[in-house]
Amino acid sequence: MFGQFFQTIFQADFLFIIIRITAPILFAALAAVISEKAGVANIGLEGMMMITALFGFLFAYWTQSWVVGVLGAMLVGILLGLMMGFFSFKLKTDIILSGIAVNMLGTGGTIFLLYMFTGLRGNTGALVSPNILIPTIDIPLINKIPVLGEILSGHAILTYLAFIFVFILRIFLYRTPLGLKIRAVGENPNAASSVGVSVTRMKYIAIAMSGALAGLGGAFMSMYYSQGWNQGMVAGRGFIALAAQAMGRGEPVGAMFSSLLFGLAQAMKTKVSGLRGMASYNYLIEMIPYVVTIIGLVFYAMSIKRKARRHQLKPIKEKLS
Amino acid sequence: MRDKRMVLFGFVRGAAAIALALAVGTIFIFLSSDEPFTALKYLLIGPFVSFHGGVTAFNTQNFYQVLAAMIPTIFTGLAVCVMFSANQFNLAAEGCVLVGGFVGALVGIYVNMATGWHAVICVLAATVVCGLIMLIPSILKVKLGASEMVTSLMLNFVLLYIVLHFLNYHFADRSKGATMTYPFLDSAKISSIVPGNSKLTWGFVIALVISFVIWVFMYRTRWGYAIRMIGINESFSLYSGMNVGGTIVLSSVIGGMLSGMGGSLEVLGRYNTFVWRELPGYGWTGVTIAILAKNNPGLVPLAAFFLAYLNKGCQLMSTHSDVPSEMIDIIQAAIFLFFAAEQFLSGYRQKLVVKTTREELMRAESLKATEGE
Repeated sequence: MFGQFFQTIFQADFLFIIIRITAPILFAALAAVISEKAGVANIGLEGMMMITALFGFLFAYWTQSWVVGVLGAMLVGILLGLMMGFFSFKLKTDIILSGIAVNMLGTGGTIFLLYMFTGLRGNTGALVSPNILIPTIDIPLINKIPVLGEILSGHAILTYLAFIFVFILRIFLYRTPLGLKIRAVGENPNAASSVGVSVTRMKYIAIAMSGALAGLGGAFMSMYYSQGWNQGMVAGRGFIALAAQAMGRGEPVGAMFSSLLFGLAQAMKTKVSGLRGMASYNYLIEMIPYVVTIIGLVFYAMSIKRKARRHQLKPIKEKLS
Repeated sequence: MRDKRMVLFGFVRGAAAIALALAVGTIFIFLSSDEPFTALKYLLIGPFVSFHGGVTAFNTQNFYQVLAAMIPTIFTGLAVCVMFSANQFNLAAEGCVLVGGFVGALVGIYVNMATGWHAVICVLAATVVCGLIMLIPSILKVKLGASEMVTSLMLNFVLLYIVLHFLNYHFADRSKGATMTYPFLDSAKISSIVPGNSKLTWGFVIALVISFVIWVFMYRTRWGYAIRMIGINESFSLYSGMNVGGTIVLSSVIGGMLSGMGGSLEVLGRYNTFVWRELPGYGWTGVTIAILAKNNPGLVPLAAFFLAYLNKGCQLMSTHSDVPSEMIDIIQAAIFLFFAAEQFLSGYRQKLVVKTTREELMRAESLKATEGE
């Protein structure tokens, strides 16, 4: 059985699948990174992805253009972010609670909205057509390389965008004045406001950007990954992304690696359940990504704790020597 | 004087938030429906009034059904209250309800006790198991500082798949078309307290009693005080020598126990076999209830009643008109946002405070003037 297992794992298409599965988690994880940098815990990502996935698909369907769909999803994401911001920064609703409210809109509200706009219940299977799905592209030159080409070429445009955004976000946060201000607000709001940075404004900007990234993740889900919107589509990816952000120490590149880890766990799940003799364990296999997330969080928390202890011990040691 | 005004202000504010949320719901009904007035009628007064044959009358069965729907949500509401009071955003009540229902069902099927204690043992087993489950996120939080929110969210999915695994491959009744367990023994069922098919069981009475017990626990005992103190100011509690870690674990375990109890009472009271194949959603309703009750266990039944009423209204609305019952989530989200908003109507509150203070000052001055004479 293990021989068979390794045979399926060490194949180009397995790595291809990992990248494909990672992309939406990565978008959401980056969304978590940017808002967390400004000190805003955005637990509404799950709902944001559900809602933007729906609207992305609907916009694409109405205009028969996937570009409009993706932009529409981003716009809706931004609006949701600003709504959360308005309630949390202006009316002082706890940010966790406004996140939960967005998640509620994501579970039931989307079904209602879908019905309101199209008269359909539960999924958009009837509306799918090829020109509203996000196209895949073959990268010239790379697609000629034997194994690497199979892995890296032929993904959806948004998949590449997800990985490009990791570096864009990194540059934005560490090389631009706006990024610096956002980080300052997250690290010490009082210090930031004492030098004339508007804390609230930075938080609004961060959560709006977070919404836009979640919108990309949502659009990816409905317009490429599951080819249409359905009720259980996001399946906790927004929550997994929160864990990926925490495990990646709140940095874009770290979040990318932990997203890849969850992509791996998810891809393993699909591979393992296809093996002989594993059919009656399908529910336990289904559990793998979530267990990996908890274990990952535990390791992350332990490393932080150890680091904190080392910092505390240092001055004492210096005194002793 | 000041207290009275502030209490009144609290009620006005809550009512305004609910009215706003219902207004949002109404807008959506008018946008989506061809028969908005029928929809509104069933949403707002449907749960209590029957319109059969043009005769409007009080609908007892519907009323009992609303009360019956409160059973699981009172428990999750209390669970969330206790955990949120200690500032623990632990959202695993959702998974615990499912596990509680499953454990209660298993004990009700496989443990053969012919006495009246059977149901009690089922519920207690569920309570204990779910209390133990809550040790996971709370100990990870206390010992390692892992965010209880994220671990509990993940834990919900883990619990769901564990239950599904055992339901499908170990305890399924293969003679049935759908996946379900064998029927409970009669001795394990929670019996109804009213005639009819409303499923209003003794669970409802237990829920009310437990609400009172939890209120006493939170406001009249040392441990309840410690839990609330940690929620108000964790550093203060730590420096004043409270066992913060232990108290956080305690609050989460109580939360788990309450959720498990609610889940088992619901399953043994409402169904004949275990039929849940997804997370039942009562944990999230519990969060809304805790927000509406402002973490006060005494107000939980009231909040649960309100939501159960609204939910029943939405169901009736979707049967009798063209508006889907998922409307409830939009209304709930709106309630959530406005109700939890500290600054909502803060301008009015400010005016009230100023007015009260001015009056007090004037009275003090007139008092001084009379003393001077």
